[in-house]
Amino acid sequence: MARATRSGTRVDKVVLAACLVASLLALVLPASARQSVAGDIRETLVGPLIALQVQAERARGAFVARDISAARLDSLVLRNAELRDMELENVRLRALLGLGARLRTGFVAAEALHRPELGDAHTVLVTAGARAGVVERSAVVAPEGLIGTVIGVEQESSIALLWTHPEFRVSAMSADGRVFGIIGPHLGRGAGRFLLELQGVAFRDSLAAGTEIRSSGLGSVFPRGIPIGTVVSDITTPGGYARTYLVRPVVMPADVTVVMVLLPATANLESAWKAPAADSLQRAIGRAADSLARAARRDTVPGDSTRRRP
Amino acid sequence: MKSFFKGIGVFVLLVALHYSVRPLLGTRISVDFLVIAVLLAAVHVRPGVAALIGFATGLIADSLTPLSFGAGALALSAMGSAASWLKAAVFGDNRVLQAIFFAAGKLAFDIVYLVAERRLGLGDLLVQLFVWSPLSALATGLAGVLVVFVFRISMESRP
Repeated sequence: MARATRSGTRVDKVVLAACLVASLLALVLPASARQSVAGDIRETLVGPLIALQVQAERARGAFVARDISAARLDSLVLRNAELRDMELENVRLRALLGLGARLRTGFVAAEALHRPELGDAHTVLVTAGARAGVVERSAVVAPEGLIGTVIGVEQESSIALLWTHPEFRVSAMSADGRVFGIIGPHLGRGAGRFLLELQGVAFRDSLAAGTEIRSSGLGSVFPRGIPIGTVVSDITTPGGYARTYLVRPVVMPADVTVVMVLLPATANLESAWKAPAADSLQRAIGRAADSLARAARRDTVPGDSTRRRP
Repeated sequence: MKSFFKGIGVFVLLVALHYSVRPLLGTRISVDFLVIAVLLAAVHVRPGVAALIGFATGLIADSLTPLSFGAGALALSAMGSAASWLKAAVFGDNRVLQAIFFAAGKLAFDIVYLVAERRLGLGDLLVQLFVWSPLSALATGLAGVLVVFVFRISMESRP
């Protein structure tokens, strides 16, 4: 009996040691192997759990949306007094909705699931995968601008690395294409950790506060023209060989629940984030009216010609 | 046999709650249903089996956080096995002891997980370990006792 107990205890220790060793091996696996194993588990065992999480986050979104709806109702009641505010909000919503229309093709819309787990605050699960055309290194954007890049792709989902990750980099430029540098997260403390840095700017170039920074398209990972942020201040250290600027991001990943994954064919997006000018809108409306008129004539002409025929 | 299937049912339910209730609350102080599930299982099985259950559960959790893949499996297998070894010292129907058991399990899990994951800097790690983790452990302890009470789970250890 005592021998059986000792033997059982030994087996327990061996199993525990095996589990610990396997866990440690998983921790030190190369990133690609980790992604692959995690992806396999996610696509098989964890599929129903992800579906549960999607439902839960939608429910939470509904709670939040209820408050937003109530706020909008209040705005409607006060419409006469706050007409200007409503007009501004209208413009903003048009800009959000217009991005998809301006991009036209070359993107996949998906939900971004933030996980309240302890670790991995620098990634989100995107509910679009290889089946939708997503590939690794695809840029992930919100209507306001850049959020991150895809680092792992499965059939139905993918993992996106956010710009908050210490190793995230994107080749960037000023919106006028005059000054180039590399954007990375500002690894500061407190509120500073939610800012970006534009590094490696040549000393002959200077940027004023408020200058818009966009992706430059160099390196072919991120298409040119995606808004990243605006310059806050020059934080170049004395003795440095290049300028460094603090940049306020245009979008905080934690606030984003719906994203667009840009497919590899997308090359230049500068026009996608430019607000359409009033005259171009007028031209578009004019074109739409012309085409409607042509369609109406096409429908009516056969009947008329029949009547006119002798 | 009936209690075996009941145990499996509660385990699956707790895993489901982890991915449904937890995101719904969305707060930084959260109940860790996976820890409760593994601890409840650990009380009723041998340490080796508890380690295996923790390892499998941890891998499932880690699959959603690939940058720290393995940390959850390490923490849950160590915690499950330790809980199974310690169960004889802790048990009975004393609710306070049960709450402490679940809270201590959650705290141990957080410590191992955060250290193994190596994502946080020293300052953030200390804040997490001394502020958020104890509060989450408290919530997890209370939720664990509630689960034991609602499902009338026996916390008597088995040989």
